[in-house]
Amino acid sequence: MRREPIGAGGAGGASRLAAWRAPLAWLACLLLLAAGMAWLEPLFRWFQPDTRQVIYPHADFLTLLGRHLLVVGVAALLAVVIGVGAAVLVTRPAGRDFLPLVAQAASMGQTFPPVAVLALAVPVLGFGTWPIIVALLLYGLLPIVRNTLAGLQGIDPSVLEAARGMGMGGVQQLLQVELPLAVPVILAGIRTSVTINIATAALGATVGASNLGAPIISGIVNGNTAYVLQGALLIGLLALAVDSAFERLQRRWISSGIG
Amino acid sequence: MIELIEVTKRFGSETAVDRLSLRVEKGELCALVGTSGCGKSTTLRMINRLIEHSEGEIHLEGRQVREFDEQTLRRRIGYVIQSTGLFPHWTVARNIGLVPRLLKWPAPRIRERVEELMALLGLPLESFADKYPHQLSGGQAQRVGVARALAADPDILLMDEPFGALDPITRESLQAELRDLQSRLHKTIVFVTHDMDEALALADRLVVMRAGRIVQQGTPLALLREPADDFVASLLGGDDRGLKEAAIIRVAERMQPLSPRLLPRARVHRDATLRQALAVMFREHADRLAVVDDEDMAVGELSLRRLVESRREA
Repeated sequence: MRREPIGAGGAGGASRLAAWRAPLAWLACLLLLAAGMAWLEPLFRWFQPDTRQVIYPHADFLTLLGRHLLVVGVAALLAVVIGVGAAVLVTRPAGRDFLPLVAQAASMGQTFPPVAVLALAVPVLGFGTWPIIVALLLYGLLPIVRNTLAGLQGIDPSVLEAARGMGMGGVQQLLQVELPLAVPVILAGIRTSVTINIATAALGATVGASNLGAPIISGIVNGNTAYVLQGALLIGLLALAVDSAFERLQRRWISSGIG
Repeated sequence: MIELIEVTKRFGSETAVDRLSLRVEKGELCALVGTSGCGKSTTLRMINRLIEHSEGEIHLEGRQVREFDEQTLRRRIGYVIQSTGLFPHWTVARNIGLVPRLLKWPAPRIRERVEELMALLGLPLESFADKYPHQLSGGQAQRVGVARALAADPDILLMDEPFGALDPITRESLQAELRDLQSRLHKTIVFVTHDMDEALALADRLVVMRAGRIVQQGTPLALLREPADDFVASLLGGDDRGLKEAAIIRVAERMQPLSPRLLPRARVHRDATLRQALAVMFREHADRLAVVDDEDMAVGELSLRRLVESRREA
């Protein structure tokens, strides 16, 4: 649907791929480290000579990475659907009364410590993946709701006046005008939410979700710093890869129109 | 044709428009003028139902606006606002094609119409079609705004201070273009402005509003010559009213046949206004001017006495 802006479209696919260099590089590092952790055994052995086992043995790192991503991804997807949905609803004429309520509810979600959410969710949802998804969802909702509200409310009122005056319906106005114009701000919110949650998801290991938090928790429990380091390195790289991918997306959106 | 009958609009306890009746004939450009807060914009926006009126009736081509579906109504009425309200994420061409797209015209017809309008408004297709609004100057953006309003060829155009944000030179050239467009398209236009010179230059009929009511309406000349009260008189420029009147009468309407006397050196074009003629006299210290045509040939003459002579409708 979008046209390339003048002077930016000519270079074609090669340059577009080049623009994704940073996220791709981080992704490559991440996958390489996850797949080849065993090769680094001498390094960790040197770092911690007295321990018998220096590479986290209970699961394959790629599997842990996959599960980590899945948990964060599902939580992010739910948070986007709920967060953007709620923000859109309360900025419609019919839902405007609920705007303060939703803004406050989202803020409260973030003041509630994820550890406490986990503790409360386990009795209801049992051990495993669901409690951490709920905790991440609540924790990640605020930046998305807040940014979607800011994005929608920051649109030049004359643009909305024109949209209405030209005879656009509410849904047309939302989908063709408001959301596209708010996307850069919404994306920034999702980026914050997801990046925070990549780190927070490690907590899931305490309630039996196996993800990149597992080596960290296990390392803490057994006094094995090498495990902690392995989990932390991978989580850090994952956060960097995802964050730089979002940065790219935001730039791309902005340069393909409003700028 | 637009007709407002005893229309009232209240916001809470405040009455913005008070039992206003107004008839805008087909093909007429009607300018609503008055100080800010006099209800002129509210009146305009009630016509396309961006604001719903509280009491009274608003008719459009014989039907009440309330009987129309809101969106259908607005797609039939062109709407131009001061800040243009162009969609910043859409190209010029796409912005102009908005209403035709909403009306589900086939794509080739939309493209054709957009090209036609861009030509009409002096926006060369190759240099503007793919530009985004932020790449345009104020005047260009407002041209796009006017093109967008005309896209589905509506009979009615509502313009809310369309040139208010432009610099004087751009404003004047857009006013001239609008006058030119109107002489070809004959739309029914309701035009809100607080710039009295703009209203005098464009309007077939001037409606002066104050505190939600119409104080006086009539042709610009009628209002200039016989303002109903001091408010209208001062709004129309107080003592400058005479010059404003001179500014809307053409030299051609007053000029005399060539006399056998020696033709004066100072000259003025037949399409110039009396105000311009007066300025030439003042500058050249002359009380008689030669009136010339496009080829600079004398076609008549104009004396100061004749220029200031009272009340002769052309």
